[in-house]
Amino acid sequence: MSLPHSLEEELPTVNDSFLRFGASHGILSAEKALVHVPSVIDASTKDEADLGVSPKGASRTLSNFESKCLRWMNGVELLDDALRNKRFLPTGCEGIDTLLGGGLREGQLTEIVGPSSSGKTQFCLYVASNVAVKLCGSIVFLDTSNSFSPTRIASIVNQICGPAVKEGQERRIKNIMSSIHCQSVFDIFSLQDALHELDNTLNMQTIREGTKICMLVVDSVSSLITPILGSKSSQGRSLMVSVGYLMKQLADEWNLSVLVTNHMVSGGGTSKPALGESWKCIPHVRLQLSRCPGSSICNVSVLKHTSMACNRSVDFEIPN
Amino acid sequence: MEVSVLPIASAHKEKLISAGYTTLLSIIGVSASRLAQELIIPHREAVEIIKVTLKCSRAVGLEGTHAVLKGSRTAWEMLSDEQNLKLIRTGSEDFDGILGGGIHCGQVTEMGGVPGIGKTQLGIQLAVNVQIPVSYGGLGAKAIYIDTEGSFMPERAYQIAQACIMDTWENLGFSRKEIEDCQEKMQPDHFLANILYFRICSYTEQIAVINYLDKFLEEHKDVKIVIIDSISFHFRQDFKEMVQRTIVLNEMSRQLMKLAERFAVAVLLLNHVTAKHTEGSFQLTLALGDTWSHSCTNRVILYWDGNDRHARIEKSPYLPSASAPFSVTGKGIRNAIAHCKRLRMM
Repeated sequence: MSLPHSLEEELPTVNDSFLRFGASHGILSAEKALVHVPSVIDASTKDEADLGVSPKGASRTLSNFESKCLRWMNGVELLDDALRNKRFLPTGCEGIDTLLGGGLREGQLTEIVGPSSSGKTQFCLYVASNVAVKLCGSIVFLDTSNSFSPTRIASIVNQICGPAVKEGQERRIKNIMSSIHCQSVFDIFSLQDALHELDNTLNMQTIREGTKICMLVVDSVSSLITPILGSKSSQGRSLMVSVGYLMKQLADEWNLSVLVTNHMVSGGGTSKPALGESWKCIPHVRLQLSRCPGSSICNVSVLKHTSMACNRSVDFEIPN
Repeated sequence: MEVSVLPIASAHKEKLISAGYTTLLSIIGVSASRLAQELIIPHREAVEIIKVTLKCSRAVGLEGTHAVLKGSRTAWEMLSDEQNLKLIRTGSEDFDGILGGGIHCGQVTEMGGVPGIGKTQLGIQLAVNVQIPVSYGGLGAKAIYIDTEGSFMPERAYQIAQACIMDTWENLGFSRKEIEDCQEKMQPDHFLANILYFRICSYTEQIAVINYLDKFLEEHKDVKIVIIDSISFHFRQDFKEMVQRTIVLNEMSRQLMKLAERFAVAVLLLNHVTAKHTEGSFQLTLALGDTWSHSCTNRVILYWDGNDRHARIEKSPYLPSASAPFSVTGKGIRNAIAHCKRLRMM
């Protein structure tokens, strides 16, 4: 949570005197206030001359503050929220949609794993185009390997829209393509920056009239993470997990559907998804893609799912 | 669009201008907390300023207000950019066909094949072709050639440059006399002078050169292709620790992509093949392993089919997988001719 200033609007009791009280003790963030203010109040009962703030006033503010910060919900409310706000975004590939019970869920992080040239990027481009066309939502595409291809997006959008209407087609495609935002990120720190910035943008979205951002694609997340893993220190791993949680937080808070791709490594004769065990708990849904060389049919199987059975698989085809 | 037109308190305007925020765009680009810090004003007021700025800039239809993230661009903007990007032709129309017109600037393309398939020939050909003047349908740019194996032959480059010049004129339907007039302008020597050559003897040098390219390209904006022949040579022998190799390679590919995107240069990586054991049979794939195979944008495999050389798109975000024949002639890379047989040296 940000500086207590932002709380001022919501909580009338967090006034300047409380802030001054906090600042005089070096308490500048909401989290710090919750942890430190009680002990500070205890200490300062003897020291009444504390900037004119009575300890009583401060503790009252604090209890208000706590009740505001520590919100709780019951199961019914949660279910209601999930049904109302967490939509399924159709991927456009029929097989996958039925496999996942409707598509990629908002509020969840979906991971696609697969060997090189198995169709991961194609799937990302296809889903992004499909969501932009069908739901008119905005998509943020973070591209880590220069693989975002506007030409391909244009041809997919053309295909989905169909050749039905000739007039206005150009303008429609322009609108759709303008709702897909792409940024190149080449290291994990710029990914973190971009995610924080996205959080800010979503915070401000209320004042923008633009379409709602409903999807975030990171293709591929593994190529940013592998360079920092592998060394003896655990710093790389903690950075990886923190990025993972940041994405999950964004997904939950703003009802985004997050789609990331990961590659496969061969270990002991069989190939398995990269990034290891500590990454495994990050995605809600993990799908594995495979494709026979030369054929255009891809096979997708569910490796992990929060609410459905695993190890089911289906074939699908991304049209050229 | 100046800050002075904003409907905000004049005290704020003064603070904005003295802090260096003179245009609307500069305010949009900054976060509210940063603005509050710099102007020493409450966070709320900073948010208010940004809100007003956004509203104003939208009213006048200022570019950049649609950006969700700083520096992000929409697919539509990128599409028109991409359509303006130049292509470097390989010399063989069939090959160009499967590549969508040639090697794309701004992308990393990896090509690999068995020894003798013509990887180096292709590298030299592209280093020459990138220099064809704009008026003759080329890019009129320079090439960087990073040679790790010592296989670049200047004599061969001279030959290819000569043939390239002749072919360019012939294609334009110039008569003998016109060619003589033009000879002043296009000379094989100039072509060789514009190939900037680095000779690399170890993998540390290779990493150093790639890191240095950032600065080098900044100074040489007219370079449009970087050829690394070959990317894998030093990495196949000098490493004991495979994990370490993967990390180094990954970092290198990231650097190359950054270069490609930032300077809109084409990056061509030439690679060797290796036999891979899968499901009881051996298959030829490009060297450097699975993780590396993710790191290039486009991947092209060069292979023999009978006596003909073929190229196949193995991986690309936008090209359909297809293959086409090509041949290596005395003039360089050209279309395959039906009777062109591979010479077998006995």
